[in-house]
Amino acid sequence: MALSVEHFGRTYATAAGSFTAVADLSFTVSSGEIVGLIGPNGAGKTTTLRSLAGILRPTSGRLCIDGFDLTEHPLEAKHRLAFMPDEPHLFEYLTVMEHLRLVARLYGVTDVADRAAALIEELQLAGKEQALPGELSRGMRQKVVIACGLVRNATTLLFDEPLTGLDPIGIRRMRNTIVARAKAGAAILLSSHLLHLVEEVCSRVIIMDRGQKVADGTFAELASRADLATAGSNLEQIFLRVTGHDAHQ
Amino acid sequence: MFSASLYIIVCSFRNRARVRLQRLRQPRYFVGAIAGAAYLYFSFFARFRASRSSVARRSGRPPRVPASMAAPLAVAPALGGLALLMAAAGSWLFPMDSSLLEFSEAEQQFLFPAPVSRRQLLVYRILRSQLGMLFGSAMIGVFSPQGIGVSRLRISSAAWIILVTARIYFTGVTLARARLGASRGRTRHVAWLPVSALALALALVAGAVGDQWRHAPPADPLAGLILIGRAADSPPVSLVLMPFKALVKPLFAEWPGAYLVAIAWALVVLAAVATWVLLSDEAFQEAVSDAAERRTQQPVRSGEPIYKVRSTGWVLPPTGRPETAFAWKAAMQTLRMVDKRSLLRGVIILACLTIVAALMGRANGLASLLGAFSMAGTMFSVLLAPQIVRMDLRQDLQHLELLKTWPVKASAVVRGELVWPSLIITAGAWTMLAVATFLAGTMMENVDLGLRLGGSAALAILTPAIILSQLTIHNAAALIFPAWVPLGNQRPRGLDAMGQRLIMLGATWLLLALSLLPGAIIGAIIWFALQSFIGPAALVPAAFACTAIVAMEVLLATEALGPAYERLDVLAVERAE
Repeated sequence: MALSVEHFGRTYATAAGSFTAVADLSFTVSSGEIVGLIGPNGAGKTTTLRSLAGILRPTSGRLCIDGFDLTEHPLEAKHRLAFMPDEPHLFEYLTVMEHLRLVARLYGVTDVADRAAALIEELQLAGKEQALPGELSRGMRQKVVIACGLVRNATTLLFDEPLTGLDPIGIRRMRNTIVARAKAGAAILLSSHLLHLVEEVCSRVIIMDRGQKVADGTFAELASRADLATAGSNLEQIFLRVTGHDAHQ
Repeated sequence: MFSASLYIIVCSFRNRARVRLQRLRQPRYFVGAIAGAAYLYFSFFARFRASRSSVARRSGRPPRVPASMAAPLAVAPALGGLALLMAAAGSWLFPMDSSLLEFSEAEQQFLFPAPVSRRQLLVYRILRSQLGMLFGSAMIGVFSPQGIGVSRLRISSAAWIILVTARIYFTGVTLARARLGASRGRTRHVAWLPVSALALALALVAGAVGDQWRHAPPADPLAGLILIGRAADSPPVSLVLMPFKALVKPLFAEWPGAYLVAIAWALVVLAAVATWVLLSDEAFQEAVSDAAERRTQQPVRSGEPIYKVRSTGWVLPPTGRPETAFAWKAAMQTLRMVDKRSLLRGVIILACLTIVAALMGRANGLASLLGAFSMAGTMFSVLLAPQIVRMDLRQDLQHLELLKTWPVKASAVVRGELVWPSLIITAGAWTMLAVATFLAGTMMENVDLGLRLGGSAALAILTPAIILSQLTIHNAAALIFPAWVPLGNQRPRGLDAMGQRLIMLGATWLLLALSLLPGAIIGAIIWFALQSFIGPAALVPAAFACTAIVAMEVLLATEALGPAYERLDVLAVERAE
């Protein structure tokens, strides 16, 4: 399994006590698979992704990338991982190209010039190579962050709302990029509120609500469950039903 | 990772310099750079050149030390070591965490998921902090009162070692503090070791100093310092203080032999502290994750205040003047930033101190000290607080797109923005003035009571006028020259930005003087006319007249600023660097 999450839990300490963002979450993602991670705001999707990226520590459970436990073998796990967050935070005084070179250096990518050129073309960043983040729009900054994730051959890709801020052309290209990476063998976990995109590109969907997994399966499997869907339901309808927001219930 | 760290630092530095140089093409930054450079030259370098013209320095000899300072200087390394020991011990009680453990959003996003070990992350942060510390130590050398260029370089080097060691040490304290209550016995014991060692060292030092003090109580503070220094230099205390003295000795060592040996030992101490911290990398992961977690829960940029929602007791009525709505908005901000109970406690403590100081009598130093402090606080509030308290257009222009959509007359917006900050600054100034007036008898015994009371009353009457006038000038500058005024907590950095602020400060004070001039002239006429009849009390009607004229000026100015507000383009407003 490229990505394995076993009984993952994450609790935050707050002034009022503690708050459990994610409880007992388990799932896997295989190589070549695109799994959609969806849920209402505050469901725990970003917490899950940030924990998989090594930014947050799990309170309980095990997170493995290509068999390497993220807690016990963090360096080996992180070498295989690329995380593209929802909010693009860049070094304010590094240019686009310098960001790519930095990431290449961190991950030991030797042919950064060729890879960077291809990514810049693919993500429509041509002409912005020497631009600082302050000179870029939000969508452009988002593309830079994605380029930094794709500049190396990560076997597991984590996308958190990758299409936020992108124009329609950018959305189409990003979708094609994600599909291409999966076809090349990467395991992809994609979190998005754009359910039609999720339905289009993901082979399987995990639905989270209030920190717990409430559904996991292919679209066909979810659609065939009587408790989740009526005949002809699309993913949005399944989502609303699962999370208790279906007006017809 | 070391090369990646250097890459981030070098590229960021180079690009930041390029951006700052490019912005000099804008006239306001160019003028600001000239002003900033001139300020630095005339404030510091010109004085250094003047001081270097003395015969002793031209001849290359160090300046002569007065005989009275010879004894304290002899024990200065010991005293310095003692100060460092106390700082090292006290740092365990600081409520803050080391800044080396705080990573920016970009650093978290790029470096945390990267295949980089915790130790490498720590080394990266230490490297990243070097620019600031090099600058700080250079400034210490520049401001050092002694010597010529080379000796300043030696002092800077010595200061750099102290700063770096202190920074890394405090990081170690933060990491160890997190493990003081660890469940694993061995981890807990290791974490408590430095605390125990410091406590023992402090006890030894206190014992030695206490012994010497009892045998030969010093006659004056200087003798007391010398006694403490000698106690710190005697065994076994000198052994305990050895690492701390090693850090301080380069500041006092003679060139070349003693200095080089002292630097070597200081570097040994730095290496030992760095080793201790780098071996704590397990705790580093937890500490950094805790910091990242806090940032997730409270995504507030550094420097921004944190607001707590609390009931303020002021509910905005549905109808009324728009100025009141703006004042209410600003009041909510203040009351949700400042805890009312803490403020009330502070005022009660101040009142109690004032009463106690007054009752203790005129000969008592507390009354003079408190009175002087209050007077200084009053002058600060009146002359400088309007520059610092920016709860007006200097903050709200960040939301200009929103403000422009409101159906409020432009001049009402301007007036409304001035109300609350002028109220709170005036309240602060009046509080300080009340204390100073109450204690004026102890500070100004030779001044007639009538003059003291008349002067205080006049100042109290003038205070809101001066404050309101300054706030009007600052807000006018924000409307007319929006690109010159940083908004909110933005603080553009660099020599050019400093020069801009100096120009704005100078222009503000010039305009303040001009705005007060008509009122001052009328007030002076009234005072001349009445003082022979009613004495110092004539200051009161004079102050009233001046205040009335300034109030009229402010009212006219807010009306005149209306069109400026209407014309203001959102693109003209300065954005954060």
